[in-house]
Amino acid sequence: MLQLDVRTKLLLVVIFSVLALVYQNPKVLALLLVVNILTLSILGLPLAIFRGFYKFIGLYVLLIVIQSFFVKSGEPLLKLGEMYLLTTDGIWYGLAIILRFLILAASGLFLMHCNPTELTLALVKLRLPYEIVLMVQIGIRFIPVFINELQNTFNAIQLRGVDLRRVYKRKVLRVYVSIFSPLLYSVWQKAEKLSILLELRGFRKVPVRTYYRDIALSRTDYVIMATALLMTAIFVYAVKGL
Amino acid sequence: MAFISIKQVSYTYNGRKKPAVKDVSLDIERGEKVAITGLNGSGKSTLAKLMLGLLKPQKGTVLLDGKPVQKYSLPEVGEKIGYLLQNPSQMLFNTTVYNEVAFGLKWRGKSRAEIHRICKGYLEHFDLWQLRDAFPFNLSEGQKQLVALTAILALQPACLVLDEPTKSIDVSRKKKLIEILEDIWRQGTGIIVISHDVGFITRFGGRRVHLVEGEVVDAAAGC
Repeated sequence: MLQLDVRTKLLLVVIFSVLALVYQNPKVLALLLVVNILTLSILGLPLAIFRGFYKFIGLYVLLIVIQSFFVKSGEPLLKLGEMYLLTTDGIWYGLAIILRFLILAASGLFLMHCNPTELTLALVKLRLPYEIVLMVQIGIRFIPVFINELQNTFNAIQLRGVDLRRVYKRKVLRVYVSIFSPLLYSVWQKAEKLSILLELRGFRKVPVRTYYRDIALSRTDYVIMATALLMTAIFVYAVKGL
Repeated sequence: MAFISIKQVSYTYNGRKKPAVKDVSLDIERGEKVAITGLNGSGKSTLAKLMLGLLKPQKGTVLLDGKPVQKYSLPEVGEKIGYLLQNPSQMLFNTTVYNEVAFGLKWRGKSRAEIHRICKGYLEHFDLWQLRDAFPFNLSEGQKQLVALTAILALQPACLVLDEPTKSIDVSRKKKLIEILEDIWRQGTGIIVISHDVGFITRFGGRRVHLVEGEVVDAAAGC
């Protein structure tokens, strides 16, 4: 895996995400997705996560149906009475949304293997207020912890005799509702403890914060950033009018 | 036939090179008292999760009552084994201590009168009856631990797996816990304790299984 500065990765994320939101033509978006995947593989980032995307096939079909339902233009391919279930334009717009979703997910992969400390430093160097950066860092740090805790709670519930897969939907809802308030309370308690710990360690005691570690852009970073910007300009020019 | 039979089981967590549990083989009889010891990170809790089917071994098999543990659903495993997590807060999800203990009993279709009798009995046994209306999250860590343990004991499983049960409880409650464990063991419930609390383990007795870096290095007969 190519060792890059987090700022380089952030630039790639911004480029791909902005282009994905600007263009609506599925042909352009498909090309963008191919470039995105190629970039990921050139940088040596793992693409295994893409194997899981077939699981969302139902969602993709639903998106196309919803688009067909609301977009009245195009040739109707499937009708139920007066209701359009599938139209050519519906498929076209649906495809655009799916491709956009895939590009955004693929862009996120650039940051997947980032060191959280380096990400913090990169955001600070980009002149973001440290308080906001810390919130981002804590968010990233605690997501897996909360997922793990939630999983443990669900295991504990099931080990006490509740088969969540078999009970009636209404009862499942009751279980979820019953665990929601204690869960919220536990999150609140954790946040409170964390804030006390931060204060105790002198958080915001002095206006200037120094860092033990530092990050620096290497020559590879500059080359990749310049290439990315150049490629973006070429891409925008090549797909002009589409 | 052993109640829990672990055969050549290995497990490595995602993103780690070193296995958490390596080629472990262990038979635990019904009603047996076993203490699994070892330093932090030696694979004790991983072994417990493998016994309960919460983790799927990458190598080897775990049999529960003669059947691969993966063939059971979690509620079915829960009927046989009561599991106390290392962090009791993750086991509490009700708004009162009483409801916490009654939760599993309600889902097993017990009558209101029966639930009350069992809850009262267990809560009094642990000196928790006066806290029955308290919000579990407002209790001390030690009290939370006891509430979680009570909730499991109330379901009367055939075997108990207790992961660091003495982590946050005081000396007098530790003594009381040993008495209770001894009592329920005499009634036929198997007990597997995972701990590095040497004093507690010594008083607990039973067969000792010592783990070092995921491997069983000593499975001595109990006292």
